[in-house]
Amino acid sequence: MTTVTRAGATRRGARKGGPQDQARAVNYLWLLPAFVISVAVIYFCVGYTAWISLLNWDGISPDPVFIGIKNFTRMAADPVFWDALQHTVIFFVVTFVGQAFLGFVFAVLLHSKLRFAVLYKIIIFVPVVIAPATMAPIFRVMYTPTGQVNNLLANIGLGFLQQPWLGQSNTALLVILSIAIWSGTGISFILYFAAMGQIEQEIIEAARLDGAGSLRVLTSIIWPNLRGTTVAIAMLTAIGSLKLFDIPQLVTAGGPNYATEFLGTLIYRQSVPLNAVGYASALSMTLLVLAVGAAILLRLTGRERGERRA
Amino acid sequence: MLESRRWSTRVILQIVATILVLPFLYPLVAMVQESLSGTGWNNYAVVLAIPELPLFFRNSAIISVVVIALVYVCTMLAAFAFSKLHFRAKEVLFWLLLAALTLPEVVILAPLFATATGLGIYNTYFSVILPLAALQVPFTVLLTRNFIDGIPDELLDAARVDGATTWKTFRYVVWPLTAPIGAAIVVLTLIGTWNDYLLPLVFLQDPSLQTVTLVPSFFVGEFNNDQTKVVAAAVITALPEIIAYLLLQRLFERGLSAGALK
Repeated sequence: MTTVTRAGATRRGARKGGPQDQARAVNYLWLLPAFVISVAVIYFCVGYTAWISLLNWDGISPDPVFIGIKNFTRMAADPVFWDALQHTVIFFVVTFVGQAFLGFVFAVLLHSKLRFAVLYKIIIFVPVVIAPATMAPIFRVMYTPTGQVNNLLANIGLGFLQQPWLGQSNTALLVILSIAIWSGTGISFILYFAAMGQIEQEIIEAARLDGAGSLRVLTSIIWPNLRGTTVAIAMLTAIGSLKLFDIPQLVTAGGPNYATEFLGTLIYRQSVPLNAVGYASALSMTLLVLAVGAAILLRLTGRERGERRA
Repeated sequence: MLESRRWSTRVILQIVATILVLPFLYPLVAMVQESLSGTGWNNYAVVLAIPELPLFFRNSAIISVVVIALVYVCTMLAAFAFSKLHFRAKEVLFWLLLAALTLPEVVILAPLFATATGLGIYNTYFSVILPLAALQVPFTVLLTRNFIDGIPDELLDAARVDGATTWKTFRYVVWPLTAPIGAAIVVLTLIGTWNDYLLPLVFLQDPSLQTVTLVPSFFVGEFNNDQTKVVAAAVITALPEIIAYLLLQRLFERGLSAGALK
């Protein structure tokens, strides 16, 4: 029979070889399913990727050639890789600022006793729920030269802005960014909305009695109180930027001329259509390092936040 | 927040909110419009008459249910152990799991492909289910451990004094209290699995095994790029998700934003 011990109590080292040690050995069984399904699969795959990244391999041939770090030197010399990295950084900055700003504004507005608040909330949150893969066809149609966006611009007197959105490098990236903000703002809105509900009304009332206007309350009290939420949104969008695949793959296929290439689409293109599995694995290892770095940063800032609150 | 007393300010705020929300509504309206252009409702009739359509939903449902079950069981057991039990190297093992927290699925694509073909599970549900569950578990364990940390140890001590085994303490004391986080895990995993595109794209070649995220590409082939029917198919695919959200709004909002609350 195993027993539950107090989580805080330090019993380490006590009664070596006694029943307590047996209990501990049995306790590993609780982790078994998660470690077989998750840790074993993931670490096996990551190790395998690391090995493949040193090979010249098409993924099928029975005798891959060991080429050392040549895939990595090829990567360092590949302008498309650096473009993809740059797009990832741009994507992170723009979607973070856009989603944080819009989420904050919507949260403030919906805390202001508007009519039909539930309707607004539903409209902002539905894009979070629908799969990007499902929405991609309509975005492709909307942004064609004869699509709804250009028609709308003509109808509201902004016809001079009409352009082939997906056919030009700079506007194609803009379209990808706008779709990402469209589908992600619901999350930042919900987070800000919940966090604002926790700010004590007394502080706001006191500020108002001291003569602070609405704008002053927003910038001096509400926004600083939401710092933790803003950090969380920054982390979410950072990880989202590294994982990005569906939207650029399906809306622009990374084009035109690699203008919307991200690490996800580049790795997919190299490994599946181009069969350059060795090179794709070198790119994957680089992405892995970036993602683990983001995870560590996430844990550290999360911990810092927790301590400050305590 | 901005509880204005004057009605003029209120009207202005209402107008600002309406203008800001329009760009969010617009793609959804454009989607419905496009799906009805050309031959109108007939687009839907044609799409619904495709015999493969229900299979995409069936496949997504099967894959989602199995992934949710796997993730739920693994998460509950591991999170309870990490939170309330003692064993050597606990934090090291926890970090081992957490290191995989932000792993993008594309990173493990090549080894998964090689392994799946080697094991003969390429082009089966299993080749998608296993990596989806593997990538979800680290995250849900983290969320659930934090949640179970909040359950007071005194409750567990009381059960121990009454002679309950670890299993019984988990089953009758801790597990019944985990319903809120359990619901969040189910919603998170459901949306993550249902909306996943990359793994089905690479691993499910047979249309009778493919998931709803592959519906657009299937219909592009089927209708020779007749966009109105492709979009009609997308509307049909999106509807169940929208309806599920409308019915369970709070659950979806809490579950999907749980990610940032660790």
